[in-house]
Amino acid sequence: MSKTIDERIPQNSGEGAGFKTFNAVQTPWNKLFSYQEALHYASRFEAVLSAAATQALRIMVPDYETRAQMMCEEAYQRLYVTGQYYGDDDGFGIHPFMCGQFAGALIGDKGDDALLMCGRCQDFGTYRAEKELDVCDWDICGSELCRTTTMSLQGQANASAERRRKGPTMDYLMVEAKGCGDRHCRIIAESREKYPAPPHKLWESFGPAVTDEYKKFTEEEDCVAESMMFREECNYRFVNGTNNETDSSNQMINLSTAASLYILPAVAEAVKRGYVTRDTADHILKCVLEAAGKAMFGERYAIRACREWLGVPDSVGEDGRLLGGLMEVLLQSLVCGYEVEAFNKDEVILVIDRGGLAIGATQEICEAHLWMWNGMVKTLVNAMWSVWEEDSPAGKLRVKIAKKIDKFM
Amino acid sequence: MYKNIFKYDEMKRAEHMAVRNTVGWYFWTHQLLEITGPDVTAFLDYMFPNDIASLAVGRDRYTVMLNEDGEIIDDVVVMRVSEDTYWVSTLFATKLDDWWYFHQGDYDVEWSEITEDWAMYAVQGPRSRELVNVLAEKSVDGLKFFEIADNAIRGIPCKINRGGFTGEKLGYEIYVNPDDGEALETMLKAEAEKLGGREVTEFQVMAWTLPTEAGFYYMRDLAHTNPLEVGLDRNICWDKDFIGKEALLKVKETGPAREMVGFEVPETDHYIRAKQFGGPGEPVYVDGEEVGRVSKLVYSYVQEKNIGYILAKKDVLHPGDRLNVHGYDIVISGRSWLG
Repeated sequence: MSKTIDERIPQNSGEGAGFKTFNAVQTPWNKLFSYQEALHYASRFEAVLSAAATQALRIMVPDYETRAQMMCEEAYQRLYVTGQYYGDDDGFGIHPFMCGQFAGALIGDKGDDALLMCGRCQDFGTYRAEKELDVCDWDICGSELCRTTTMSLQGQANASAERRRKGPTMDYLMVEAKGCGDRHCRIIAESREKYPAPPHKLWESFGPAVTDEYKKFTEEEDCVAESMMFREECNYRFVNGTNNETDSSNQMINLSTAASLYILPAVAEAVKRGYVTRDTADHILKCVLEAAGKAMFGERYAIRACREWLGVPDSVGEDGRLLGGLMEVLLQSLVCGYEVEAFNKDEVILVIDRGGLAIGATQEICEAHLWMWNGMVKTLVNAMWSVWEEDSPAGKLRVKIAKKIDKFM
Repeated sequence: MYKNIFKYDEMKRAEHMAVRNTVGWYFWTHQLLEITGPDVTAFLDYMFPNDIASLAVGRDRYTVMLNEDGEIIDDVVVMRVSEDTYWVSTLFATKLDDWWYFHQGDYDVEWSEITEDWAMYAVQGPRSRELVNVLAEKSVDGLKFFEIADNAIRGIPCKINRGGFTGEKLGYEIYVNPDDGEALETMLKAEAEKLGGREVTEFQVMAWTLPTEAGFYYMRDLAHTNPLEVGLDRNICWDKDFIGKEALLKVKETGPAREMVGFEVPETDHYIRAKQFGGPGEPVYVDGEEVGRVSKLVYSYVQEKNIGYILAKKDVLHPGDRLNVHGYDIVISGRSWLG
């Protein structure tokens, strides 16, 4: 194969022509997506991948309680330890006089907005905090993830509290969850010293809350669809109640995903606990992620929509460039470095920075993407095409999209 | 529905009213920067619009800090602890540190954060002097408002500053080595109880309900405003140069575009969003036009009503005006509820 790269418009095309600078990602066919759209796309795609990974985990650990408890324990412990070593209290607007575990609510509040999980803080005090979300891209993953994220917040809150003057403990509960079909996600954290309640297992993090009567439910007409950083009324800035202020400029770089932050670490934990071997876990992940990829373009209209979205010209037929272009949009949206080694009708080769794709430093996420892409190419193009890793240099994921015959595929 | 998070909370009420009726004490450590050097007074005078040069040793002063657009980017208390050394009390040390670094220029000054070296306890309320005098080796009777002096609490070396964030005429802030904090807390607890006082533990009381009754601001209220809009221009020293002066002079000439007004919500259980929790705050409309946003909405345990601030277009809202915000009737008021 020629390893040629089809002619494409350079990213700095038009520089100096008088247009205002516009932050965007670019398809190989010069279709531009705004920063905001790209971030939404990345978030949504990664949520779909995460949902598929969750299905794989469900096969590995079929019992709901066992799985949820394991996920909660793993996430709690990891985020607790991380929070001990990498706490950025100033960065969350946690002031020195704030005591106890309620400061964790400020961590969650900021993280939600960065992950496009928009909503509003309804209360934060030393003994009670309430956060209500209108949107959560992760809501397709499953209710066990909702429980897990709650306990990861508990871990961060507990770690943060240890750096401060001793104060009340807080029990973080997700009393409503979009992953369970509720209109909102609603985290209520309440002090057990002030609001006593029986103890519960870690996975039983859905409440009920003792302070339920204080909750503020936002009606449909007042719900929002964007994070503060993308809303004019917020001056395009996230601002919390302690005046911690950020804009959208670093959100892509710091994007976390459910798979990288919770699901794949839970798979590793399932292996560690002997619920499944590593080989079997990878086999299940591969099967499920490939199937999810195939399902993405199972209907012809999805292919047509994708071509339209990417701006693929009619002269480009059914070949690997379709997936290559889609992958490029995702990689740019994740601010993941990559080089185009080949991009033509016969093959596409992208040399991807593994570190950039390993969102949240979860290495297994690279293979998860590879399996998903391999499934996607089967329906986006056709079954003659495959995606595989080949001759990767150190620190890189060299992905090849080409035709391949494999009698054991 | 929407049960008031303040009114029915007996713990918040008791802590709040202890300060109003007797004495309340609480851990109130802020971030502290110590700044010194030959040019320190000139530097701080340039950093802050209020007069720093006239500050006597042992006295402190509240001031905002502005950016070049005249917008408030911090509000601090500057304490002159010696001729060439000041403490600056802030809640945004990292930002303040950066700001100073970028504006230091040729000023011969050095500063460092000393937050870890000091724990601060607020003692506030009509019987706060009585409480402090029971514990302190030197009487604080002669301590003027915003005066800080060395003292000792039953053998624990400390600095005692007269001041506070509650609107009380009597209030003190005790600075001790953090290692002595626990011992001090034990003493404060015991002696406060004898006076019918108690510890204030709730962030919302110390940072929101007490200050708001007095018309005070938390930094979230002030963000992206200028001093003329929020009534903090009275002590600006226009005779000196300071960051933001040029922009502020223009505002002074034309008049501020906005103002912070008080308001009350008669209905106890409401759902009106305020900036204090983050976000943009509830919009306030007059004849279909947005004229402001709700900055703060808390509960006055003294007045037994919901009180707050609206940052509104100048001269649109007047005391006594009745509006509807997010389905609830509100009444525009003054901005202090302590009488």
